[in-house]
Amino acid sequence: MLLPKFEFHEPGSIKEALELKKKWGSTARFLAGGTDLLVHLKKKIITTDHIISLQRIESLARITAHPDFVEIGACATMAAISETPVIQAKFSALKSGVDNIGTHLIRNRATLGGNVCNASPAGDSLPALLIYKALVLLESLDGKREVPIEEFFKGPGKTDMKADEILTGFRLPNPPVHSGAHYIQLGKRKSSEINVVNVASFLEFDPKTKKIIDARIALGSVAATPIRSLKAEALLKGKIAEETSFYEAGEKARFEDCKPIDDFRGSAAYRRAMVGVLTKRTLTTAFKLAGR
Amino acid sequence: MKEFDIISTRANRIDTPDKATGRAVFVDDISRPGMLYGALLQSPHAHAKILSIDTSKAEKLKGVKAVITSKDAGSIKYGVSPARYDETVFAIDKVRYVGDEIAAVAAESLDIALAAVDLIKVEYEILPAVLTIEEAMKDGAPLLHEGSPKNLCAEVHQEFGNVEEGLKNSDIIITTKMKNKRQDGAFIEMQGCIAEFDNLGVLTLTSSTQVPHYVQRTVAMVLGMDIGKVRVIKPYVGAGFGIKASANPMELACCILARKTKKPVKMNYTRDQVFMLARARHQFSHTITTGAKKDGTLMAIKHECWLDGGAYTSFGIATVYYTGSLLGGPYKLDNMSYDGYRVYNNKPACGAQRGHGAVIARAAFEQQLDMIAEKIGMDPLELRIKNMMETGDTTCNDLNMSSFGMSECIEAVRKGSGWDQKKGKMPKGKGIGMACGFFVSGAGYPIYRSDTWHGTVIVKLTEDGGTALVYTASAEIGQGSDTAFAMIAAETLGIPLENVRLASGDTDMGVDLGAYSSRQTLMTGHATKDAAEHAKRQVLEVLAEQLKAPVENMDIRNGFVEFKGAAPDFSELRTRYIKEHRGWIDNPTSEKLSFKEASRIAFLERGSIVGTGKYKPHNLGGKFKGAAVGTSPAYGCSAQVAEVTVDMETGQVTIDKITDAHDCGKAINLTSVEGQMQGSVSMGIGEAMHEEVIFDKQGRVLNHDLAEYKIVTSMDMPKVEAIVVESDEPNGPYGAKEVGEGAIMPTIPAILNAVYDAAGVRLNELPLTPERVYNAIQEYKEKNKIK
Repeated sequence: MLLPKFEFHEPGSIKEALELKKKWGSTARFLAGGTDLLVHLKKKIITTDHIISLQRIESLARITAHPDFVEIGACATMAAISETPVIQAKFSALKSGVDNIGTHLIRNRATLGGNVCNASPAGDSLPALLIYKALVLLESLDGKREVPIEEFFKGPGKTDMKADEILTGFRLPNPPVHSGAHYIQLGKRKSSEINVVNVASFLEFDPKTKKIIDARIALGSVAATPIRSLKAEALLKGKIAEETSFYEAGEKARFEDCKPIDDFRGSAAYRRAMVGVLTKRTLTTAFKLAGR
Repeated sequence: MKEFDIISTRANRIDTPDKATGRAVFVDDISRPGMLYGALLQSPHAHAKILSIDTSKAEKLKGVKAVITSKDAGSIKYGVSPARYDETVFAIDKVRYVGDEIAAVAAESLDIALAAVDLIKVEYEILPAVLTIEEAMKDGAPLLHEGSPKNLCAEVHQEFGNVEEGLKNSDIIITTKMKNKRQDGAFIEMQGCIAEFDNLGVLTLTSSTQVPHYVQRTVAMVLGMDIGKVRVIKPYVGAGFGIKASANPMELACCILARKTKKPVKMNYTRDQVFMLARARHQFSHTITTGAKKDGTLMAIKHECWLDGGAYTSFGIATVYYTGSLLGGPYKLDNMSYDGYRVYNNKPACGAQRGHGAVIARAAFEQQLDMIAEKIGMDPLELRIKNMMETGDTTCNDLNMSSFGMSECIEAVRKGSGWDQKKGKMPKGKGIGMACGFFVSGAGYPIYRSDTWHGTVIVKLTEDGGTALVYTASAEIGQGSDTAFAMIAAETLGIPLENVRLASGDTDMGVDLGAYSSRQTLMTGHATKDAAEHAKRQVLEVLAEQLKAPVENMDIRNGFVEFKGAAPDFSELRTRYIKEHRGWIDNPTSEKLSFKEASRIAFLERGSIVGTGKYKPHNLGGKFKGAAVGTSPAYGCSAQVAEVTVDMETGQVTIDKITDAHDCGKAINLTSVEGQMQGSVSMGIGEAMHEEVIFDKQGRVLNHDLAEYKIVTSMDMPKVEAIVVESDEPNGPYGAKEVGEGAIMPTIPAILNAVYDAAGVRLNELPLTPERVYNAIQEYKEKNKIK
């Protein structure tokens, strides 16, 4: 399998990259880590005449902690995100998401922006971005815009990004006190896996009443995009944070919120059952972390 | 037993420096001046008639040097076993699987070759395809090969003793079914080759193969050449596991392209072509009935198996026999019957893979032993000890266990795993299980009917004295055979390992049947020992003449000549040696006469000292049809204990630890033996847990890469405690026998028995994906009304 021929561009700034993109339009593709793009090109799943590398635009790889939020550049690698103290301290579900992608070699190259633009329903970093209410930061020559992550995915491989835009990064608001989050993925083997089901949950509770103030649950591999489990979330609000609530939420997610299909990685029935188990388990751990 | 100086140590492998520094040369590292690149056109259809092939556009493409089809390749049939040749290099009238070869191109670059392949126009008439055994056996099903009604490729019917009687006299009778999934060898190096003709018409094929000898014969036959005009060289190879144990169509196409273009031609398989060629482990569907007495004595086995063969025979005729012949042992058993069927269908052909034919039968049978033990309230380990064969025993199908450390293996894993403290005492969700197994130490007969020596080796002492050159046509494919033979040569000659240089994997060096059926350590090892003894004898004979001392009073050890009793005066020899080396600074000063001096003197007296060695097994096996398959001069055996955790909510199985004991006879290199044990366990875990080649309804492989075909990662690999049990095999060189394949036998059933212990479920289908285990647990809960 040979890489097809294409013209390679290496702009030094976002503006330059946007100009190139405007010039070549849909015949050009952005290259971040390349761990999906190059595989797709080799397998002839996609073709392109121009590759615009974003690797020389340093600002895109930055991870910056602000008082109320953190900004992660689109070209920050999974390895870099995993090793950043603020991510480890405040966004542990994102850390476990990026830690589960591929292998060490892949994590050293793969970027968060790339994982999001690839928009696989099974993407490992996506459920965490959903539960942390990430904002997607987009830029074109006409200006900037921000899109809530749950409005960004439109289908497998499809996003809200326009042909003349670059995804520059993500803004994640700091989680409130008394909150916790957790991510679990399930596959056939223990690493380098494409998920059968993956779930992330976020939980905020009132330590006095033990009541759940807010909950967000994101399900991967059980619909055309990663989705929020809204009915399960609604069920949790105001309930006491305890095992039975988490179990009920899992059952709600399993039977009412997910729309899995049968494929060679797993059956819909098994995926549903695992949505129940993983929702319960991620909530249980999120609650434990919230109480720390 | 004799004290050894070199064998049975942990000598560093002689290929490690090259491999660690990236200097080891594999096929893909090689290029030749003016070399062309070849590419194959392979069928996109599982079953179709070829109406016409138009290569004109491809031929016109700039940079294309040759396009070949069956018109160039001819209709000579080849395969693995001569009686079962059913392949041609290119499809002649029809294609039988997605990937069947139709044409090949040689061009100035791979880009051009691939573009030219796309320009070849083939008109097909699509035929209905059969993709399963059931479809293939149906009345009126389309036939793949003329002369194979019902698509039956082979059938075997054997009975030893009286099974009906044995079952009648049994108190417990267990019948179960067991099914695995088609495997891929998933070796790291994809097959590749370079073919080139010299100006005298000699063809050299450099190929990533396990069997230079068989490839040489097949190439010579298909191209209509003298065997002496075909040289096959195997550079370093990134494993094979059985899949590279026969000539492949790419090698043959490459040679024909080189002949036509008169230029060197290089070809490589991509990973998806590796999956298309297949030739790895079959899918087996077993039904086994085992009878036993209340006291645990095994009485009889009735065994039926269906093999999903794919489009061609490949190794299949051997596989279907091995499946039956390697079941009964390592237990004492008088009555065993076997009905085996291998069925053609429109998928890639299956062949041989580590533990050839026997792995899934063992996975079924070793579970039944646990079921019997449970029924009679006996520890499954004790049940096995009770029935275990001993050294010298012969199975009912005439396999003789000339050494057999099976009981020692069981005791080693009992102790190593803490079996007695754990069995029956683990919490729900955790389990422990064990199993045993055995395997041939080299096939008793070559694949083609012949009296040939199975291995020849040449040991030549350098004329300056001091260094021994070992030439063998055997195949180092990563398992460590080069190191093993260098160690055997050094031990036999009585010189340090660093004074041996070894070259292998070249048919010009002699005959060696290659790396398959776990044969090289015993067979090539014997030939190496024989050659080294021959060379040493010549040196000692010269010494005896020169020193006028009896030859039987001399030996060589650690690089020095040793004399029984007082050493004769060798000062004249030393003076002669030193005179030869005027001006040199390393003249011998030791009290003992060195090997270097002795072998130099031998050269001065007799010319080059060349020792030749050879080996073939003695006559083996019974007289019944198929008796040859399963025979071997020796059998390795092993026991394993698996400890697992089963997640009762998700069905995920985690293997916590494997304790593995293997009797490899005398271990030539302890580290290499452990490496083979670890590798076998890893492959067994992969097959047990997640490996499975999946096809779509058109007969195309869906998961044709290593992202979706899931071999074991380091994260899946448990701690493996590898315990080497050494016996003294009378038919092995220095008592050595196999470890490469026998070590995989117990892995799958040990895991299955541990999963039962942990979760209460018996699984009769592999792999143990979380979903399959989850479904079994749900079924178990419903049946037993557990919430």
